[in-house]
Amino acid sequence: MTKSSKEPLIRVVKRQGIKTWQICLLYLGAVILALGIGAVLLLFLKANPFEYYEMMFTLNTVGNKMAYIQYETYIQELVPLLITSLALSLAFKMRFWNIGGEGQFFLGALAGAAVAFMIPTSANVFLTIFLMVVAGSLVGGLIGLSTAALKVKFNTNETLFTLMINYIALYIMRFFGETKADWNIFLRPDSERPKFNQIPDNAKMFTIPIGKFSLELSFILVILLVAVVYFYLKHTKQGYEIAVVGDSINTARYAGMKVNKVICRTMFMSAALIGAAGALRVSSVYALSDTISNDVGWTGIVVAWLAKLNPIGIVIVSALITILQCGSVVASSNFSNVDSHFADLLQGIILFVVLAADFFIRFKIVFRKKNTEKQSKEANV
Amino acid sequence: MKKVLSLVLALVMLFSFAVVTGCGGNSDSSEDDFLVGAIYINGKNDTAGYTFAHHNGITKAMEQLGMDVSKQLKIVDNVPEDDAQVTNAINTLASQGCKIIIGISFGYINAMEAAAEKYPEIIFSHATGYLSNDKNFNNYFGRIYQARYLAGIAAGKKSLALGNNNIGYVAAYGTEYAETCSGINAFALGVQAINPDAKVHVMKLNAWANESLERQFAEQLITQYGCGVIAQHCDSAQPQIAAQDKGVFGCGYNSDMTSQAANAHLTAPIWNWDVYYKLAIETAKNDPDNFMTKVGIYYGGLKEGFVDISPLTNNCEEGTKEIIDAVKAMMVSGEWDVFTNVKLSIAADGTITKVDGAMLDNKGGEVISADNTYYVYADGALKAVDGGAAAQDGVIKGSMNWYVAGVEEK
Amino acid sequence: MDNNIYAIELENITKTFGSVVANKNINLNVKQGEILALLGENGSGKTTLMNMISGIYKPDSGSVKVNGVPVSINSPEDSKKYGIGMVHQHFKLVDVFSAADNIWMGTEGTGLLLKKDRYERISEISNKFGFDFNPRKIVANMSVSEKQTLEILRVLYYGAKIIILDEPTAVLTVQEIRKLFDVLRRMKAEGHSIIIITHKLNEVMEISDRVTILRKGEYIDTVNTSETNEQKLTDLMVGHKVNLNIARVETTFDRPLLEIRDLSINNDEGSKAIDSVNFYIRGGEILGVAGIAGCGQKELCEAIAGLRKVEGGQIIHKGDNIVGLPPKAIIEKGIAMSFIPEDRLGMGLAPSLSITDNMMLKNYNKGKSILVDRDSARVKAQEIIDKLGVVTPSTETPVRRLSGGNVQKVLVGREIDAGPNVIITAYPVRGLDINSSYAIYDILNDQKKMGVGILFVGEDLDVMLALCDKIMVLCHGKLMGVVHAHKTSKEELGLMMTGAKDISLINGKVAGIAKDSRIEETKEAEVE
Repeated sequence: MTKSSKEPLIRVVKRQGIKTWQICLLYLGAVILALGIGAVLLLFLKANPFEYYEMMFTLNTVGNKMAYIQYETYIQELVPLLITSLALSLAFKMRFWNIGGEGQFFLGALAGAAVAFMIPTSANVFLTIFLMVVAGSLVGGLIGLSTAALKVKFNTNETLFTLMINYIALYIMRFFGETKADWNIFLRPDSERPKFNQIPDNAKMFTIPIGKFSLELSFILVILLVAVVYFYLKHTKQGYEIAVVGDSINTARYAGMKVNKVICRTMFMSAALIGAAGALRVSSVYALSDTISNDVGWTGIVVAWLAKLNPIGIVIVSALITILQCGSVVASSNFSNVDSHFADLLQGIILFVVLAADFFIRFKIVFRKKNTEKQSKEANV
Repeated sequence: MKKVLSLVLALVMLFSFAVVTGCGGNSDSSEDDFLVGAIYINGKNDTAGYTFAHHNGITKAMEQLGMDVSKQLKIVDNVPEDDAQVTNAINTLASQGCKIIIGISFGYINAMEAAAEKYPEIIFSHATGYLSNDKNFNNYFGRIYQARYLAGIAAGKKSLALGNNNIGYVAAYGTEYAETCSGINAFALGVQAINPDAKVHVMKLNAWANESLERQFAEQLITQYGCGVIAQHCDSAQPQIAAQDKGVFGCGYNSDMTSQAANAHLTAPIWNWDVYYKLAIETAKNDPDNFMTKVGIYYGGLKEGFVDISPLTNNCEEGTKEIIDAVKAMMVSGEWDVFTNVKLSIAADGTITKVDGAMLDNKGGEVISADNTYYVYADGALKAVDGGAAAQDGVIKGSMNWYVAGVEEK
Repeated sequence: MDNNIYAIELENITKTFGSVVANKNINLNVKQGEILALLGENGSGKTTLMNMISGIYKPDSGSVKVNGVPVSINSPEDSKKYGIGMVHQHFKLVDVFSAADNIWMGTEGTGLLLKKDRYERISEISNKFGFDFNPRKIVANMSVSEKQTLEILRVLYYGAKIIILDEPTAVLTVQEIRKLFDVLRRMKAEGHSIIIITHKLNEVMEISDRVTILRKGEYIDTVNTSETNEQKLTDLMVGHKVNLNIARVETTFDRPLLEIRDLSINNDEGSKAIDSVNFYIRGGEILGVAGIAGCGQKELCEAIAGLRKVEGGQIIHKGDNIVGLPPKAIIEKGIAMSFIPEDRLGMGLAPSLSITDNMMLKNYNKGKSILVDRDSARVKAQEIIDKLGVVTPSTETPVRRLSGGNVQKVLVGREIDAGPNVIITAYPVRGLDINSSYAIYDILNDQKKMGVGILFVGEDLDVMLALCDKIMVLCHGKLMGVVHAHKTSKEELGLMMTGAKDISLINGKVAGIAKDSRIEETKEAEVE
């Protein structure tokens, strides 16, 4: 008699035909689960989870006279993440793994700052910001283009290349930040310690006052950008080329596309947008720093994937992640036992669980059924 | 296209919702709703180090003023020296309604300067900085070099007893920062007052904090350079722990590190930040309009009790306390100070004699002349600094870039 | 013991994927020492059924008995334990390992070290079943048939008594098929039970004892091979009578449209894939290309489409040498290439994109606008869906979600829609059921009638003999000759495919070459 093995208790099965509301429910469940885990941790820290979460999700703006400051901060943080995620999605759509967002952002920021410091202070604010963005996107774009060119010419691995450039860019930024010299236009001349200088007034982000609140020009730009990227990917020939190249390079060649050109062009655009985001960031926060990117090059990857590379999804996901980031700062500032590392941990838990939910959207777990168990018992008799 | 439109609409809605809720708020005011905001470079739950010292000072000051720390103190911690993130932190604290915002790290300078202009109703107080305005932005720091000189005496006395003239110093930076530079010099001068043959070996981390490197450098100073006492200008107690593990002695910094290295620790130059914070918070609360005249640019020392050394441990040589008390009294009374044209010479029996003469740096250059003029290096040559006492404080705080004779940087 | 105990017995097996019923109440049984053919159109559920036996899927309901004992097969390991072995259509071998190491890799309890006697033990088994096989040969150096032999050896080595072969003859020549069948017969004599999945009715008739027929996931019947014939089987399989004869449309031939002169092409590894090949296609003619898989067909197609570098020779289209032109220019000249690789999606279609988007693939760039014209592509997609009977929820369904036949219809439909004058089509019916295949043949014949020159790279010699006007045979990149389809036989083609017969030279001259008067000899000389 052959010995029958038992069916495994748990199996992972590919999920078929999942409905949109089920997806929403799963994500919602994931967030609730993550908050539950966080609540337990918060209780350990003797903080009231409900108060904490309320502050986190409302950015403590409800009933707060100074709430407008939070909204300004929120938008300031949202803009670079949104641009970077959109830009990354362009490259990812083409299956070009641009994980060099950080580096492109840094170099774009440096270029933008260089323009800000070099242009006469009498120059018009719009012209200055425009030139900063042009410089940032050119530098970022050329870095991107070079990795793409190396890829198509020598088949180098873009993942490694873009990754390494991140560190090079970071150290270039640190070099400028720590080298006190006459030629170093980025530093405060009056400080004995090397310290990045504030950009001149005409390079500072133009804002539109709405009551006490002032709306950054870059927010309007980024909303336009979302529409443009959406339209570009969906309705233009170049967008179509990106989709085909991303799907199958052989097919793209077969269709007579100049695949190398498409890769270089798209990567240029992707990196240029990130460079522009860097320049806008400088204009918005007034100075350089070696943490100016606020990790958008990394977070952007998460956003782009969670949003399935859909521009609309990117808006939603980056808006939510920014709430999480800003809310964490606000909430932890109000709880003496909760430091920002814990807030980061909580953020991490939420993101992790949501990403796990992504898994459950694609797969389901099947438990051993009773009757098959009986069957196998019979077989064992 | 419909999707794009709906997206834009959704964003506009989200946005207008935000603005409406923002304007329509009402905050209930209790009798004491004065909020203090603080921005820390490290975690607020740290148990040692720079941030801990400040946090301790702020909470102590607030308790002395009868304030409820858990409700009235808002903190954004682990904020790097990045203008964007500092601005962000300031905005967060401002939006919570803080009336005074304290920034404890030098690199917060740009953001605080800009914020002071943006939020004229909030007072900004910046540690270790050099910028200020005449209304709501000051900086504060202390004559920690005075305390370091005292610690140097304890170390020097120890080195004599050990018969080991090598003393190690784990420093965050060297001559790049006047803060570290003046600290090293004051310590070395204190050591030399009692042991003129002693050498201070400096190893710099090139970072304000790097725990593993701090320990590694301390060990290297002990094993490679044979140092018998390890002093430090860095955040953690690792150099002291390393000293204890290797059976030598040490001077901590920032807080009394005796508990971390009971068998090695001599004394530590410490800050009594609460002295300043009490003054600053009290003034900001009761008389904010005159903050700059009442508090202004603050540079307290032993006299104000703002800096001090931790109680001498039993590891110290006998007689150390008497000498230190005497020297401290000279500095408190203003009779004598460290960076002057007068040096102290302390005999084995504790007799203190004043020696007039120029101060030389370790390249033989005259850095404080016999007529008490300060010099700093500029483009490779020593240049006189004129402008009186304030300018001299400026050198100690901001531009000192030489080591006194007897200091060797590794 | 009852004589009616089957080696393996499936009863009322049902398997659903979401809302799709892949298998419904299937019954199947094989006796010891019997060869059962499993016959069914594409998508009839054969592979799903076999995957359940080999432990990849689990049935929703129904029972499986091995030697009369109910069992539950939960994993490929279980299936191995019950003595079931499957030889997949796509070989699962490690290229850089030797044959013996490939077998040893999956053996249980071998420990960390390779034992020295592995070569002998494998030779033993190989001799027992009459294989001519070198266990030390590296897989990368093996021919397709050797790889298949290795796969079969592997399952035998594991001690499998029930062996499933998924379309084993698809990649073999006539001679190799004969050899395989000899082996199968010997295995049968040894008491093994064999289930063979195939489309080819003549093979079913030749090798099997019984035939189980599936249609659209349902069990139709099991018949004794000796009591049936190809016509009856076809009827059972497709459900209605299909005319097995492909009508060869007679047209008046035109002047050569596409002429290949001394063409040499390298493969990806840099060795000769096509070696000094000459042939031509005239308008209104279907030229078949026969050859064992991987003897240069792919490279030839790619070179004509401008996707592969030509090492030497000329490709003359309507009198112009098109060597060196970019793919786009070649498309614009009206040369359409549809190559159906093994995964069907690798070239010619973008699998994640919708049918509509795939329709635009070759002409998206027309016009000055920066925007793509998705509306007319959608109209075209709908036309092709209607005309060719593509089964799809909508024009916006990603091609990847369609079944194989529908994918091919989309591809071929698009190529023809572009109104080409030359169609290069490789394996257009690969993996298609009979109905779909005939739909494709009809399309090709229609094009032929319209005066299009067609290069048809095929696998099934029966089909080629019926459909093509002429057939050229390649063997290892060399032209073995061009023959008239109505004057040749499968045996002759098979001999040419294996290189046993070479009729490319007649009286020392290259045969079967037409010259286009517009290209002068001097020009040809320059190319050298």
